[in-house]
Amino acid sequence: MDLIFLQLLTGLAGASTLFLVAAGLTVIFGVTRVVNFSHGSLYMLGAFIAWSLLSRLPREPDYFVLGVLGAAVATAVIGAVLEVVLLRRIYRAPELLQLLATFGVVLVVQDVALWVWGPVDLSLPRPRWLRGAVEIAGLRFPFYDLVLIVVGPAVLGGLLLLFHRTRWGLLVRAATQDRDMVAALGVDQRVLFTSVFALGAGLAGLGGALALPQGSANLNMDLSVIAEAFVVVVVGGMGSLGGAFLAALLIGVLQAFGIALVPKITLVLVFLVMAAVLVVRPHGLLGKPQAMARGEVEALAPIRPAGPALQVLGLVALLAAILAPFVAGPYLLSVLTEAAVAVLFAASLHVMMGPGGMASFGHAAWFGVGAYAAAFAAKGLGAGMAVGLLLAPFAAGALALLVGAFVVRMSGVYLAMLTLAFAQIAWAVAFQWVEVTGGDNGVLGVWPDGWAADKPTMYWLALLLCVGGALVLRRALFAPFGFALRATRDSALRAEAIGLDAHRLRLAAFVLAGAGAGLSGAVFAYAKGSVFPTYMAIPHSVDALVTVLLGGVQTMAGPVVGAVTFTVLQSWLLMGDFWRIKLGLLIIALVLAFPTGIAGAASAVWDRWRGRAA
Amino acid sequence: MMLQVENLHAGYGGAKILRGVSFDLAAGEVLVLLGRNGAGKSTTIKALMGLLRPTAGRVRLAGADIAGWEPHRIARAGLGWVPEERRVFPELTVAENLEVGRRPAREGLAPWTPERLFALFPNLAELRQRPGARISGGEQQMVAIARTLMGNPRVLLLDEPGEGLAPVIVDLMAEAILALKREGATVLLAEQSLAFASRVADRAVILETGRIVWDGAIDALLADTGARARHLQV
Repeated sequence: MDLIFLQLLTGLAGASTLFLVAAGLTVIFGVTRVVNFSHGSLYMLGAFIAWSLLSRLPREPDYFVLGVLGAAVATAVIGAVLEVVLLRRIYRAPELLQLLATFGVVLVVQDVALWVWGPVDLSLPRPRWLRGAVEIAGLRFPFYDLVLIVVGPAVLGGLLLLFHRTRWGLLVRAATQDRDMVAALGVDQRVLFTSVFALGAGLAGLGGALALPQGSANLNMDLSVIAEAFVVVVVGGMGSLGGAFLAALLIGVLQAFGIALVPKITLVLVFLVMAAVLVVRPHGLLGKPQAMARGEVEALAPIRPAGPALQVLGLVALLAAILAPFVAGPYLLSVLTEAAVAVLFAASLHVMMGPGGMASFGHAAWFGVGAYAAAFAAKGLGAGMAVGLLLAPFAAGALALLVGAFVVRMSGVYLAMLTLAFAQIAWAVAFQWVEVTGGDNGVLGVWPDGWAADKPTMYWLALLLCVGGALVLRRALFAPFGFALRATRDSALRAEAIGLDAHRLRLAAFVLAGAGAGLSGAVFAYAKGSVFPTYMAIPHSVDALVTVLLGGVQTMAGPVVGAVTFTVLQSWLLMGDFWRIKLGLLIIALVLAFPTGIAGAASAVWDRWRGRAA
Repeated sequence: MMLQVENLHAGYGGAKILRGVSFDLAAGEVLVLLGRNGAGKSTTIKALMGLLRPTAGRVRLAGADIAGWEPHRIARAGLGWVPEERRVFPELTVAENLEVGRRPAREGLAPWTPERLFALFPNLAELRQRPGARISGGEQQMVAIARTLMGNPRVLLLDEPGEGLAPVIVDLMAEAILALKREGATVLLAEQSLAFASRVADRAVILETGRIVWDGAIDALLADTGARARHLQV
């Protein structure tokens, strides 16, 4: 009994910090419509700054409060700077590019934190008063847990008062509904947005600072908390504070008991809960159907077949790729093989994101399933490479069919989060089902058949399968299926009215994308000779997103350009120390410079040049 | 002159909608902007408000050239916009909608308060605590006007206030505009219906393919059957 009670308490205490982070995220999203990937970085900065302050201040309770508040304020200031310098410039950019830019911030902050605070986990020597316990009704409660349990509802109450009893709050609520109208009534949106962002960042910083005494400030806390905060916000309903609070309680308690009872599946449990909630309530517990915020015009340029010039350019590039092994050394050849794999991986995601209008955060899942299918064919069945390469797209496609049946009913951010959830489950299975997948050690020795064992042959095979696969996908998009899919993306209602089955079309695109990614995963597995759970992890999914967005969503050449650029960047420019900050700044610069991606920008320049010539 | 528009050009992307719009609006005057569908009435209003950046031309409001300013600065300078689609905040109550519009009093104008506005639109008084999404279209139109008046504008820009409303509500709108006129308000009204315009306006300008093709007293327009046939009849 006592144990259960204590566990509940731990859960509620954890829920409080989780709520603080999620509240900041949801407030920022509500007003700016930006899904802030870097919110976890602000949380991490809050913890680090709190460590710097608290380890210098006297260890008394009032100084503790001072230090925590100081960290929150400092994080709020950092958030304000971030808003002014970066986010303000991209409010009108497509949602996914904003997400990508904030992911660039994540990378930058990771290296800045590494540089300032070093790689070692920093924990706080806990003074006695912090470790104490309080006796209530014969039970001893850890004092700090009680503090945290009080902080959550107190902050919720404060925020509700702020939003419902002040003019600032009123303007913020109005801006979440129609920001252009608010501006037309004489309100300076920039001040409003900057202050909202600072508030959200401050909440994240407060959460990080409060979490410090029970853990440590470390470089992994940004991505782990952002995944949980996303779950909380989505389960609660985007933009709903009350929903975020309920969801934080649910997730916090679930985690506390999960870790105590079945530590292995805690992660899976959390994401299963999210999936279950979203299937029953597609907009979260207290969320409302998300109307397109006014003033947000996302002009999607139609996808056109490549013009003659681009076709020639493509053929030349392909010819160069085919001839490459005659001049390239082994290292360059392995980079080129990776580039070929990245092309198909990106092209398959592009099918979903561009013409399908479904942005996936978990595309690496299908890549991983394909890779493990190849590994299973090689190790489990003892079969040759042909079997593995054939099995992979079918395995990934079949699983995508199963998952897609749930997922394609959602749209926008919810769909992205659900794909993330399934990818996390897939990753957890690969990571924890050691008997079959080898866990973290992976599956080794997935080698190609003898005839393809030398590097150039394997490269040509990869080129054939991946470029061929990408061309098949391209063909599908210029077939009636592709037109119908794009019609469905532009207006599901109108598409249904002319007799298109939106659900089936989206599902077909989802399965096609999954199968394509599966094939690329299998090729990668044979090229590398091994398969690891990291193939399915979040960063790999982000790689795919970066690749597609880098190239441009609304061009067919985009994924190809993006994949080659990204692979080359990763292999040369971004090696060694502080590669994250380089990549992060590069991503941010690219988003600011080319809001339509490299290929999009190039085609715009080309059109202008042609227009002038004509 | 309260508002002077000189040679205003604006458009969307490559499409040029306004090709040199010029007109004046005196203090205390109600001017109606007439024209067929697509003539550029709403575009003119949006360009004045800064929601659409004018590509050329000048807009003088009480002396200051506001062309190219951002919408919130234009609103603060004294243009009050009531959009055609009303755009009442759906999840805010009627009272809160009015509060969003509140700006400091303007010299020489009696400041608007919720009480004075509820006197102007008696229907709204009982709906104070009702969310914007749960009132009728006519009531939303009243809220939209009242919300803009809370900013104490020098000039009220009304974009088709009677559109889509029942005749009895349209009558209420006409009466409200006349009441505002008696208070000395300056109004620019974009309107399709000459019948509605003739009840409230002092002067009319007619837009055709992005230019002003007729400018004069509303009575003169009512008398000029030729101009009406040329520029307004479909």
